[in-house]
Amino acid sequence: MLNTITTTAKTKKKKQYRGISRATRVMRNLALWIPTVVMAFMIVLAIFSPWIAPHDPTVGKITDRYLPPAFMEGGKTDYLLGTDQLGRDILSRLIYGARISLSVSLLAIAITASIGTVLGIIAGYGGGRTDAIVMRVVDVALSFPGLLLAMLLAVAIGPGFWTVVFALSLLGWAGYARMIRGEAMRLSQSDFVAQARVNGASGWRIMTRHIFPNIINSLIVLMTLQVGMMILAEAALSYLGIGISVPTPSWGSMVSDGRANLDNAWWISAFPGAAIGLVVLSGNFLGDWIRDKLDPRLRQL
Amino acid sequence: MARFIVIRLLQCVVAFFGILLITFFLLRASGDPSTLLASPNFSLEQVQALKAELGLDKSWGEQLGIYLNSIVHGDFGESLLKKKAVGIMIGDALPNTLKLMVPSFVLAMILSFILGVLAATYRDSWWDNLVKFIAVLGQALPGFWVAIMAVLIFSVKLEWLPVAGMDTPAHYILPMGTLVFFTLPGMMRLVRSTMLDVLDSEYIKMARIKGLPERTVIWKHALRNALISPLTIIGMLLPGTVLGAVITEQIFNWPGMGRLLVEATFARDFPVVQAVTIITAILVLGINLLVDISYAWVDPQIRYQRT
Repeated sequence: MLNTITTTAKTKKKKQYRGISRATRVMRNLALWIPTVVMAFMIVLAIFSPWIAPHDPTVGKITDRYLPPAFMEGGKTDYLLGTDQLGRDILSRLIYGARISLSVSLLAIAITASIGTVLGIIAGYGGGRTDAIVMRVVDVALSFPGLLLAMLLAVAIGPGFWTVVFALSLLGWAGYARMIRGEAMRLSQSDFVAQARVNGASGWRIMTRHIFPNIINSLIVLMTLQVGMMILAEAALSYLGIGISVPTPSWGSMVSDGRANLDNAWWISAFPGAAIGLVVLSGNFLGDWIRDKLDPRLRQL
Repeated sequence: MARFIVIRLLQCVVAFFGILLITFFLLRASGDPSTLLASPNFSLEQVQALKAELGLDKSWGEQLGIYLNSIVHGDFGESLLKKKAVGIMIGDALPNTLKLMVPSFVLAMILSFILGVLAATYRDSWWDNLVKFIAVLGQALPGFWVAIMAVLIFSVKLEWLPVAGMDTPAHYILPMGTLVFFTLPGMMRLVRSTMLDVLDSEYIKMARIKGLPERTVIWKHALRNALISPLTIIGMLLPGTVLGAVITEQIFNWPGMGRLLVEATFARDFPVVQAVTIITAILVLGINLLVDISYAWVDPQIRYQRT
């Protein structure tokens, strides 16, 4: 609800502004612009990390271990956010970590959204036994703790980039399937689908040409709302050591690196965690904004 | 109702066997634990003998048969590394996990109800905004990081609380706080939105028109109806709680199921991983089943819709 009011109000000129104070309006705009800037910044960092990062993220200098951030006593301007237990530059690792976070979450979202959409439409349009089978599998997938599966996979195929993507995708599709199935079910009762059927359209054509275009909005909303959750999930897996393997920098494993050095080098864990929080927060705000724009009915999600 | 329960029970059994099979085959596919146990100077015969001792020389089908048979008899085998019965290891670990999880879950429930109801009652007040802020922040910050920062502040800098272990009541504060942090934001948000829906309904208006005091309207009439949907949240939050418990135990070195699982995963000690997975799965599926049944019992619409 935050931003819809301002934007619809904008088109209807000044009168609509009455009742909303200037401060509120400014806050509402900030709630859109700050997250947008943060996300854009993160995407730039992820794409151009080799050019932006001041140091190599995986190679450290033994003489420069446990250096505090530049703004603290004893810090070097060479390492703005300090160095870790192997003398690696935290800022550079953060910049490269953006790559991992973003690529894992985008890949996992692409995979889960495609599988969930296909199954959801088939179940919703097909109905009957197909629907029952798909929905039972969805129920199980939704109630099963994904962490257990991720741990099993980490043992079976070893930790790594694709293990994380696979682990996140294996259960993640269920949420999409459940929502899309509801939408598809509602749409298949509608008049235009009935008319298409009367005109002799095949089931495939109805699903791809008539139902799918009508659920794109909900799909986009759910996908954007998932960005933050996927980043958090990846971080948690990497934190436990079953995600991205060392020495590749991942925000989650960076937090875990600093766990043993809390008494002498708090910055090793503090900065990556703050980065995760900032990005997830921005992602959630953007997701909320897109939801209010495209599909306000989904507010409960 | 009986039909509903039977169908849900069957689904649970099917799901359970699915999990059992996936666990078994994934772990067998992951590599041979005898290579991990055998020292490098073992001869081929010694490796073979070790395999025979562990039952790894038989085919996968036979191993599965033996395994299913022993599970039915309540025997989870022996840990490959610690040479201890898995049943005993879990018997030691499970109470520790429950000691931490049950109070945290109850605390999170109580807190989320109080905070959520107050936020909904005083909608758009500074209090409501504070609750919303906590919820938004809680859903964005990684729990493991918040826990570590809490250790940094309260244990390392201020030296008020112990870092790890479970000897005194003070040891419980940080782990419980972490677990509450994992579940509170989501629950609070749901209580708030359900409460808002309820407060908007006709019978609440009716109660107000009757002239009942606002306190009675909110805590008696509205809350009682808002209580129904949190039944489903328990089911929804369960997977997240498992994640939270594993991470919390890992951070605070709590000798529970989560730490057992993580240690066993790294050591490829598959009887242990299998047993922990299976027991967690039983607990999660069982609680979900109970939640569903009680939910259907409260709300007849679900009984008919789902069957």
